[in-house]
Amino acid sequence: MTTRVAARQTLALTKRSTLAIIRQPALIVPSFVFPLFFAALSADSFGKTTRLPGFPLVDSFLQFALASTILQGVLFGSITGAAALATDIEIGFFDRLLVAPTARTGIVLGNLMGSAIFGAVQSAIFICVLLPFGVRVESGIPGIMVMIISGGLIALGIAAIMSAVAIRTGSAEAVQGAFPLLFVLLFFSSVFFPRQTMHGVYKTIATFNPISYLVEGLRSLILDGFSLSAIARSIFIPIGICVFGTVLALSELRRRIRAK
Amino acid sequence: MPTTASHQEILHSSSIRSSWGLAVRGLRNIRRLPSAFLPAMLMPVFTTIAFSGTFAAITKLQGFPTDRSVNWFMPLGICFGSAFSGVGLGFSAIRDIETGFYDRLRMSPTPRSSLILGPLITAWMRAIFICVFVITFGLILGVRFTAGIVGVATLVAASLGIATICLGWGLGLAFRFRDMRGAAVMQLTMFIALYLTPAQVPLPFTTGWLHAVARINPVTNILRLARQGLVTKSSVDSLSWSNTWGGLVAILALSVLTLIFAKRGLAKLDR
Amino acid sequence: MTSQPPIVAENLSRHFGDLKAVDGINLSVDEGEIFGFLGPNGAGKSTVVRMLTTLLRPTSGVARVAGFDVVTQADSVRRRIGVALQDAAIDPLMTGTELLQLQAVLYGIPSNKMKSRASELLERVGLTAAGDRRVGTYSGGMRRRLDLALSLIHEPSVLFLDEPTAGLDPMSRIALWDEVKRLNREGTTVMLTTQYLEEADQLADRIAIIDKGHIVRQGKPRDLKSSVGVPTLIINVTPEQLETAKAVLVTFGEIRPSGENTIGVGLRDGASAVTDVVRKLDESGVRVSHLELSEPSLDDVFAEATGHRLEGETQ
Repeated sequence: MTTRVAARQTLALTKRSTLAIIRQPALIVPSFVFPLFFAALSADSFGKTTRLPGFPLVDSFLQFALASTILQGVLFGSITGAAALATDIEIGFFDRLLVAPTARTGIVLGNLMGSAIFGAVQSAIFICVLLPFGVRVESGIPGIMVMIISGGLIALGIAAIMSAVAIRTGSAEAVQGAFPLLFVLLFFSSVFFPRQTMHGVYKTIATFNPISYLVEGLRSLILDGFSLSAIARSIFIPIGICVFGTVLALSELRRRIRAK
Repeated sequence: MPTTASHQEILHSSSIRSSWGLAVRGLRNIRRLPSAFLPAMLMPVFTTIAFSGTFAAITKLQGFPTDRSVNWFMPLGICFGSAFSGVGLGFSAIRDIETGFYDRLRMSPTPRSSLILGPLITAWMRAIFICVFVITFGLILGVRFTAGIVGVATLVAASLGIATICLGWGLGLAFRFRDMRGAAVMQLTMFIALYLTPAQVPLPFTTGWLHAVARINPVTNILRLARQGLVTKSSVDSLSWSNTWGGLVAILALSVLTLIFAKRGLAKLDR
Repeated sequence: MTSQPPIVAENLSRHFGDLKAVDGINLSVDEGEIFGFLGPNGAGKSTVVRMLTTLLRPTSGVARVAGFDVVTQADSVRRRIGVALQDAAIDPLMTGTELLQLQAVLYGIPSNKMKSRASELLERVGLTAAGDRRVGTYSGGMRRRLDLALSLIHEPSVLFLDEPTAGLDPMSRIALWDEVKRLNREGTTVMLTTQYLEEADQLADRIAIIDKGHIVRQGKPRDLKSSVGVPTLIINVTPEQLETAKAVLVTFGEIRPSGENTIGVGLRDGASAVTDVVRKLDESGVRVSHLELSEPSLDDVFAEATGHRLEGETQ
């Protein structure tokens, strides 16, 4: 099989999975509504907390919350995408793809690309929705571009890890079961509040939680402007997760094919 | 005819006894289907830990009614848990409707009120479980009841109140939707009603639209009732009759409304 | 008790939007009778049962069960009826004993009788050993039997069985039939819905055939069958006597196609003519080696009434 054919197949499957996400409003609406609801809620709840010692210099709490909103939305969205893959497995569509002369990796990559596109679009939408409410992005247009790419990469990385779960278990329920875990990861990090204001064991956990670095990279682009460290955190860490997740997903795929 | 004598004996099926019978079933199912109750048990603990850890610094705000964030967030956790235990029985009702078991309950000559009172007793029991479990946990984390045992009582009262309201709401929706769509609506509405309050910071600290909504949201009063035994004694939010009656009225009014909503939904099941 | 029939429906209808699930049916079930309600899936059988058992409100018409109106006196109806539902709707998390005891509580059986009544019923349906097991572990047949036991907790005078044997293996089916017959002998009026012809034929004193919300035939199975045509008598004779036999038989009805050395005749006067046929053949010196009478089936009745055969007739 030529690389061109494989690329075309991957593209076709990317299109299918992107459409599959868009065509299920019941699945995607929550991944927009909840993060925005929390953004609106926290903006009016924590408006006065921005003067607390340790809180980064911000215009408003909403400016602080933009990065949290993007991260929440993207994480929700990518789990939903992986759950769709698990549903494909449950209904047998996945195995039909496996028996077709498709590039095996194309099946998984197509799905992940769908999630990545959705994640990037989500990030762009969140930024567009919050900008009119006085949220300033210090790094300007280039920073926004980086944030959108970062959103796509994070989505891809998380979707890859969740796809590995989907391929291994073949159960949408198992993938959906990751939602509570996601909440734990989000809360025990600096997604909702600055790490500098925390203390004790909680601060230690947040410091070890990789989610903290993802959100802080994005946040740095918003609050501090363009910097190498911000780009490193918002691009390179997600790339690392992508590589790890994709390798994991593909090895689960090989395991599944062997088991057939 | 089969023994008609027994017909005379059975004519008095009492509401209380039937309700208790149904409540026992509900309690037994906690043990038999723990996956349905466990989230309601763990969620408040998680809320307590996660919120008080993440937002620990908010207690440093000038005029914040307590210096311990667990004191502030544990009542919220308990209210969430109690709400879940109420709507959780709405889920059970949907399950019973879907399996057809609810038809069997409806066909029995037991008073219709017991079909609501039974789950209500279960919801209360579950709420009590949650209170005991979460308060124990909270005490380990450093929660301090500033108003003594009365403060515990007002917290439990708020918990039972929220469980009642959410049960009525949950059953009412279950009887109208009759499938799992109802469960999604229950959770979503409950979640929103509890968040559009001073859930995270006291009312004077909220701003904008949230402040406007929270001020008129009756759940705000219930949260105040729940928290008054845990805030600093000198604070305006501390235990007092003026911080109590609003919550009790809100519980009473919302309970009556949602239970009527449930009762009407039950009557509509044969339509 | 009242002198009126235990189940009466007059012009009973139930519409769901534009769909007329049940369209103006009239029924009267006599005391002590087993009444079969026969029809394909979706004919409206369950809708009728749900109305008669107070689960569903009629759109129009009146129904009285055990002498009480199902809408205005629902509570009195509920106290007198037992219902075993389609698919044996029982909570899988409870044990058989627990379900029976809950049922006893809901029907107001005094506490001191509850336990004995539950174990008595478990024994009656042969589930004593399984009483403390969760219903989720029961087989289909066991669930149906438990369902029947639940419907008997208050010794109802009228019993409704909605598709009581659907999906059961032949052994379980026969066991359930026997139990229904026994209950009926003890005086319980039974109304059962079924899509199995054999079930209606075996159990019911009278049947009603329902199709698309209408009752299309009603009566005793034998009468219904004889209404659609005459029974066919088939005899085997030696080849030499074939023509003589034919000459005799033709006087009793139309000769029907049959196999080698056999003659079939549609008996104009029904099965009762068989003795006459045998006597006439004997007088003519025809020796009959084999004789067989085949009746029209309920499916023939159904086909004649509706223009189509009953679906789902599998066994």
